Amino acid sequence: MPGEKDDSTRKKKESIVDLSRFIDKKIRVKFQGGREAAGVLKGYDALLNLVLDNAIEYLRDPDDPHKLTNDTRQLGLIVARGTAITVVAPNDGIE
Amino acid sequence: MVLPLSLLRTAQNHPMLVELKNGETYNGHLVSCDSWMNIHLRDAICTSRDGDRFQKMPEVYVRGSTIKYLRIPDEVVEMVKDEVKEVRRQQKDNTRAKKNFQRGAGGNVGGPPRGGGAPRGGRGGQRGRK
Repeated sequence: MPGEKDDSTRKKKESIVDLSRFIDKKIRVKFQGGREAAGVLKGYDALLNLVLDNAIEYLRDPDDPHKLTNDTRQLGLIVARGTAITVVAPNDGIE
Repeated sequence: MVLPLSLLRTAQNHPMLVELKNGETYNGHLVSCDSWMNIHLRDAICTSRDGDRFQKMPEVYVRGSTIKYLRIPDEVVEMVKDEVKEVRRQQKDNTRAKKNFQRGAGGNVGGPPRGGGAPRGGRGGQRGRK
């Protein structure tokens, strides 16, 4: 049953944003729990799982976990789990 | 009755504010949304939870399950009311048309595939008379 629901969720999701436009482009991803990462989108699926190449994580202030610092951490090639993703945006044109 | 998701659908191409559960807010124009309240905004400004950092982004996709609330311009509420009325009217027309069609079909087509012809014919006739 939950599988079924997921199935239709992703169909809808695909139709609402076309991630193919971002392939080979750097995108910014925020996760549930406050982590943030950026990387070159190499692939994705209908559940919004993303493959990011040369990914970096933006580290947060240990005192204020909502505040990003200038520190980053190299993650390399990663799969970002769709269910944990809250926000996706192209990285160029930010700020 | 104004349903949240129909309001949201009506709000497409309108500016709106989206606050996430983490306190961040996104101001932008709604491009599209779906029945999970996943949202696609263009020309969005992201404001951090303490309101002292801003980020402009040409477009952003927000997962519906992370949304706390959305602020939608008043005029959209008016629009959605009209739209709901329109939909109701259409639905009424549709059901009426369907009923008429069924009545007509019942009279004319008769029922070899469906159960006994005689009672069906009789019923159709009675209905027509009423």
